[in-house]
Amino acid sequence: MTLYLKTLFLLAWSFLKVGFFGFGGGFAMIPLMQDISVNQYHWLTHSQFSAAIALGQITPGPVAIGATFIGYKVAGFPGALVATVAVFTPSLVIMCLLARFYLEVRKNPVTQGVMHGVLPVIVALILTVAISLGEPAVHSFWQSMVIALVAVLAIKNKVNYGLLILGAMAAGIIFSLPGMRF
Amino acid sequence: MSGVTAGNIQNTSPAGVSRLDVLRVYLKIGTIGFGGGYAVMNLIHAELVEKRQWLTEQRYENMLSLSEMAPGALTVNLLAGVAYRLGGVKTMLLATAALILPSFLLILLLAGFFLAWQHNPLVAGALEGLTAGVVGLMLAVVWELIEKFPNHWYYYATGAVALVLGFFLHVNPIWLVILGAAAGGLKSLASILYRRLKTEPGKDVGA
Repeated sequence: MTLYLKTLFLLAWSFLKVGFFGFGGGFAMIPLMQDISVNQYHWLTHSQFSAAIALGQITPGPVAIGATFIGYKVAGFPGALVATVAVFTPSLVIMCLLARFYLEVRKNPVTQGVMHGVLPVIVALILTVAISLGEPAVHSFWQSMVIALVAVLAIKNKVNYGLLILGAMAAGIIFSLPGMRF
Repeated sequence: MSGVTAGNIQNTSPAGVSRLDVLRVYLKIGTIGFGGGYAVMNLIHAELVEKRQWLTEQRYENMLSLSEMAPGALTVNLLAGVAYRLGGVKTMLLATAALILPSFLLILLLAGFFLAWQHNPLVAGALEGLTAGVVGLMLAVVWELIEKFPNHWYYYATGAVALVLGFFLHVNPIWLVILGAAAGGLKSLASILYRRLKTEPGKDVGA
């Protein structure tokens, strides 16, 4: 029982950190979530982590909803609840503060510098996660085609992310049928 | 009653927006806002600014730039900020919960299904496709973020340094975010100081 409570506490603390340091939009949280749940605590395997992120893309909510999946995997429904509340709490607290002190914050050039300083780091981190998810899991030609197609359609045609993920899943099902592998 | 108090502080919320209205609209956005990114931003703008006129174009833009400064998903930040303006902290908390609730339930369902069936060949195949799709999306997001870089060598250089530290040396990503923030803050402090030093001797010469 105490072990279970400890796990819940660990989930809360971990996802508070993810929520607090996820500057630069929802995707910026993915590297933090991966580091904590795959590398540090081994709560999920690489492929389970991709599932958490991918299924999060199918829901109408933001990427951070992956925290719910991870919390559920680790500690059932209470874990899901704790992880979800924790991951969104820092955003809400900081939005409240910003809404009060907006003018002071916006006028300050150092704030701009800090935001711009984080941006390249986020890019590097997302790229790192993309490689670490893709490298062990991508071993067929059709998967490389899916990666390229999804990237191009998202950038050039601004296709809905949820649709792209559903399409990628359909491709996965089709190519796993007997006789379709190549 | 807290709606009245918040109205006094902000005095921006249009009269007659009840907490229930906010919850209803947020639940709607949380249910049909599939796909993230542009699609959801358009939906939010249509619902809050065009259809219900809860905030002006100007206030929407302000709230958007505010949301970019907070960590986490842009859409959640934006909607939380708007709810805070409309009805204070209590409305913000309830409205955000309403926004997240549909996704929360859906992903619990999907997680339960996936974890029970992950070794089924069809589910495993679907996951191979999903992983490829997520990697593709991440590359798209990387591309879009790079396009937001100010056109300056500094950003490409720090990006490259972060890639080396994170990918090859496995430095904890939280430390990298802190380092990047510190470097960016120091850089802007340094440029402020530099400008001051440059203008002061100029004044002396002038005097």
